[in-house]
Amino acid sequence: MKKTTKTIMAFALTITTLGSCVSVKEYQKMYLNDSEMELTARKVEYFETNFQTYREGASGANGGKVGGGCGCN
Amino acid sequence: MQLTIISLLLCLFLFAQEVKAQLRNLPFFPPTDNKKKGTQIELDSTTYDPSPPDAIELDLLTSYYAQDGNNGAVQGGIGTEQLTDYASKVSLKIPMTEKLGLNFDAGFDYYSSASTELIDNVFSGESSSDMRVHGNVGFSYKLTDQQTFGLRIGGSTEYDYNSLNAGFNYGWESKDRNTTIGLNGQVFSDRWGIIYPTELRREGPHVSTDKRQSYNGSLTISRIINKRMQASVQLEGIYMKGLLSTPFHRVFFQEQEQAKVEQLPGKRLKTPIGVRFNYHVTDFLIAKLYYRYYWDDWGVQGHTASVELPFKLSRFLSVYPFYRYHTQTAADYFQPYKEHTLDQEFYTSDYDLSELQSHTYGAGIRYSPVNGLARMKTPFKKRPIFMLKSIDIKYSHYDRSTGLKANIISAGLSFSF
Repeated sequence: MKKTTKTIMAFALTITTLGSCVSVKEYQKMYLNDSEMELTARKVEYFETNFQTYREGASGANGGKVGGGCGCN
Repeated sequence: MQLTIISLLLCLFLFAQEVKAQLRNLPFFPPTDNKKKGTQIELDSTTYDPSPPDAIELDLLTSYYAQDGNNGAVQGGIGTEQLTDYASKVSLKIPMTEKLGLNFDAGFDYYSSASTELIDNVFSGESSSDMRVHGNVGFSYKLTDQQTFGLRIGGSTEYDYNSLNAGFNYGWESKDRNTTIGLNGQVFSDRWGIIYPTELRREGPHVSTDKRQSYNGSLTISRIINKRMQASVQLEGIYMKGLLSTPFHRVFFQEQEQAKVEQLPGKRLKTPIGVRFNYHVTDFLIAKLYYRYYWDDWGVQGHTASVELPFKLSRFLSVYPFYRYHTQTAADYFQPYKEHTLDQEFYTSDYDLSELQSHTYGAGIRYSPVNGLARMKTPFKKRPIFMLKSIDIKYSHYDRSTGLKANIISAGLSFSF
């Protein structure tokens, strides 16, 4: 587990730090501001993410619910 | 369900209108680099929002879900998993001042479950049904140009389960708006209404508490990589304690015919890490990639990866096929029907905790024209126009290696006024 976690954290760190090499100005964000480019789950996926949380032991880190219902059916 | 069908028909109608517009040679897709043209003003209409800055935003979400399988935990891993659920939710964002905004949401799930009826070992062929109702209220306050802070409280209730929650969020944005950091925390305090399988009700209590607490903290870092790429990393920790098993789940053993009530440890620590990567490949195609690694102290390790490819048929109309793969190891306490032994302290035959792989695929369609889909006058002077801004419909098919199959159709409508 530790090795995998370290690899993922290193990957995550790389993405977030290497990207800082380029500063994109507001007038250059026409593609980034596209509503399809949002870095979150779509609103319409709200219920689907909840069902995945119930049907799979693994959950979280996707904007889905983390508590507040037994999901036991 | 009716709302979903109406939404689908509306979307098809709008799609036809859009195709018609394309055939008339109306401007197709825009992006041009405005800097090259000597202006530094963002002119791209894909980001233009016709709503006034202080507009109230209203979102309606609805979905219909149906699943079936043959590993129901109520019967110790061999019963039906048939379940249907109709869910709806409404969210409201109200700007009070330039800095302060209020948020409300409320919704319900109306579900019908065949396995729930088997708690009493009587299966009439008709599923029993129940409703879960939930709601939250909160606010968001802009501390500075770069920082926001918010608080929220809420709760939910259903026949045998009640929950209260409170949470906070903090957001920071760099001056060049290329990096954002978000912190979230939430606490849930839940209480079960204990229901045991009918044949075990005369015996003493099978669980030591009826309470469950969950504590959740997450850190999200988002970063623009270049003019077409951005990525985010989300680190999350979820700690749960209390009654984490389900009192009406049966478990059968090798040594005896009599079932026992599922037993699981009173604590669980979950640590998922998720990475998102979005790339505007061409003017018409976007690639959205997601990966999550999951680990918990019950022995479950999981990998989840998904790819979504929104095709922009026009500036305002997107079709997005997607595929998601998930694999996980079994919890240390899971074994199938009649494979547990009586010397074990913890045991479950809930296939949600088994080793599994799942495939989810489907597609969605989103339509969000620059001036909205429809407008209606209101009697309010300050907010004279009620506008339907966008519509989003998505269908997914879920296929799990344990045999469980599910389908879900969801629809979302966004309004402003």
